[in-house]
Amino acid sequence: MFTDRMSNVLDLQQRLERHGYIAERSLAATLLLTLEMRRPLLLEGEAGVGKTEVAKALARLSDTRLIRLQCHEGLDVHSALYEWNYQHQLLAIKLLEQDDRPLSSKEQDIFSERYLLKRPLLEAITTTPAPVLLIDEIDRTDEAFEAYLLELLSDFQISIPELGVIRALERPIVILTSNGTREISDALRRRCLYHYVDYPDFGKELAIVRAQAPEMPAKLAQQVVEFVQAVRQLDIQKKPGIAETLDWAAALLRLGVSTFDEEGIDRIMDSLSTLVKTRDDQAGFTRPVVERLAAAC
Amino acid sequence: MLTDSHCATDTAPPELADAMMSRYVGFAGWLRENGFHVTSSDMAAAMDVAQRTGQFDSLLLRWSLRAWLCSRAEEWRRFDELFDAWFLAPNRHALVETRVGGAGKLTTHGDGTARDSSEGTPLSLVGHGTDAAQADGKTAEHGMSREASLMHADFRHLNQPDELFAIDEAIRRFVQRLRGMQMRRERRAASGRLIDMARTIRLSVAHGGVPLELAWRRKRRVRPRIVMLLDVSRSMSLYSFFFMRLARVISARLSDVHCFIFHTRLVGIAQALRDPDPWRSQERLQLLSAGWAGGTRIGDSLDEFNQRHAAALLHSRTAVMIVSDGYDAGDPAALQHALRRMRRRCRCIVWLNPLAGRPGFTPSSVGMAAAMPYLDLMTGASDLASLERVLPHVLSVLQ
Repeated sequence: MFTDRMSNVLDLQQRLERHGYIAERSLAATLLLTLEMRRPLLLEGEAGVGKTEVAKALARLSDTRLIRLQCHEGLDVHSALYEWNYQHQLLAIKLLEQDDRPLSSKEQDIFSERYLLKRPLLEAITTTPAPVLLIDEIDRTDEAFEAYLLELLSDFQISIPELGVIRALERPIVILTSNGTREISDALRRRCLYHYVDYPDFGKELAIVRAQAPEMPAKLAQQVVEFVQAVRQLDIQKKPGIAETLDWAAALLRLGVSTFDEEGIDRIMDSLSTLVKTRDDQAGFTRPVVERLAAAC
Repeated sequence: MLTDSHCATDTAPPELADAMMSRYVGFAGWLRENGFHVTSSDMAAAMDVAQRTGQFDSLLLRWSLRAWLCSRAEEWRRFDELFDAWFLAPNRHALVETRVGGAGKLTTHGDGTARDSSEGTPLSLVGHGTDAAQADGKTAEHGMSREASLMHADFRHLNQPDELFAIDEAIRRFVQRLRGMQMRRERRAASGRLIDMARTIRLSVAHGGVPLELAWRRKRRVRPRIVMLLDVSRSMSLYSFFFMRLARVISARLSDVHCFIFHTRLVGIAQALRDPDPWRSQERLQLLSAGWAGGTRIGDSLDEFNQRHAAALLHSRTAVMIVSDGYDAGDPAALQHALRRMRRRCRCIVWLNPLAGRPGFTPSSVGMAAAMPYLDLMTGASDLASLERVLPHVLSVLQ
């Protein structure tokens, strides 16, 4: 016997699954809260646990556009919010010289939306129906840029000196992701809901592999996931994420592996490069190690 | 009779609401006590969330409150047990006890005042009679051990004004030089100026719209990032506080500084140092300082840094500053391996050794000898005067 709320959460979870994202129930509950309250959601977690996919699935699910802002060091207002189209403005000034209209109306013309280049953030708040705005890897920007985001994320408005304040027509669904490259400011955290995305447990990962690689035999899928889960327990530099699991599963399928026997282990050794991605880690994966891991699956 | 019962049902709902309210507000307060960043508006919001999700499904309530009240990964990990402790009555008492006994809960103030009377000199550490021997200048090699000490350090002197001002002054000069310093990347990228169109158009107004004067876009300046790794093991106890103060001043002055302390393991202290409230900063450090003045395993600690933080923190403009005397109880090969890996990722490694300022010093300790090939600069710094002598060298390596 579930409460109404719980059935809503389960419903959202199922709809996410139909759109290709397998979420735990707790994540579904958080997403429901995000959708209802239209508050930004900050997702943290290791690389490759499917943070970005959440936004994509949400966009598919609500059948809206996904607007993505990939953050990088040195990202500034011009490439994230808006920029005036200066070349066109200059042309327009030249053309308007012959015009007899008063100066003030010319000026209004030049600083009108026609000459405004919308960058992702401005686009997100002026689009209807409300899109999903994905601000990816927010930790890669610098603190100055975070400060620009504050106005957007708390009031959903952007002030442009020449035009005035542009308010969101509809509040977009905002998803921020971070790998913890840099500590994000408390001011930004306070404005967001928070969810930590962990590496998936066995059941979830198996469900993901089955969903993404349906042609894989059930027994092999199980072994693959068990192997990857065991690899994550090891003391290695770069733990494989879900993306790596899927790559590896695809590689094994292509190499024609059906079970983890003697020949299967040869194939595993061949395809390890999809799973283990630093030199030191690869040096650690000798044949005996792989055999031991495979035997346990 | 009838009226009586009628009255009872009438008054019950507000009481219930009050009780609920105090329960949730209390929970937010409980989180705050345990080091969460919870504001009063969050408390009201928590109530709102609780009403929205319904209060009878404990799982939903847990997930929703967690999304609302947590704001970082460490809070996320601790939330569940705090939630249990607050809302599941039978657990509550037991859990609080284990938290106080373990490394979790904040140390109480009573503890601090007790130390206050027993300790006078700034650098002494609580409960160790051998401190006097070390103060003579013989840094204790016998202090080298593999065990982590269970002692917490006394951080009251972290904010002592007198020395702090002097350090601040020295660091201010250092930071000024650092800001003015031109990095190689900037020197190389002298070509290709960009026109600042917005300002060019503004300037063109005076010439009737003809852009005669051009305005140039100013390049963003990139600064070196500094990662400080402070050895706070027993053999370093004479100098640890000085370097902690240094770290606190540097983190306040520069934005891209990341500090860690290590003894037998590695602990990040950047957040605690940056806390604007000096008392909170002290409390947080006290929490983190378990193992202070214990043994040293430099190699393992650096390796831990490589594993957990290097990918995120080290890049081609990072200067790693290690402060340690090089007395390592671990395997020198491990130290060498860790440094080799670190060196590949960063711009330079500067090793400040408090002992190196002494006449006749040679880097002969096993750890130091193992480390030497990977260092860009190894120099002595044990107090403010020697630090000021050293800082120009550090700058020249950074360049």
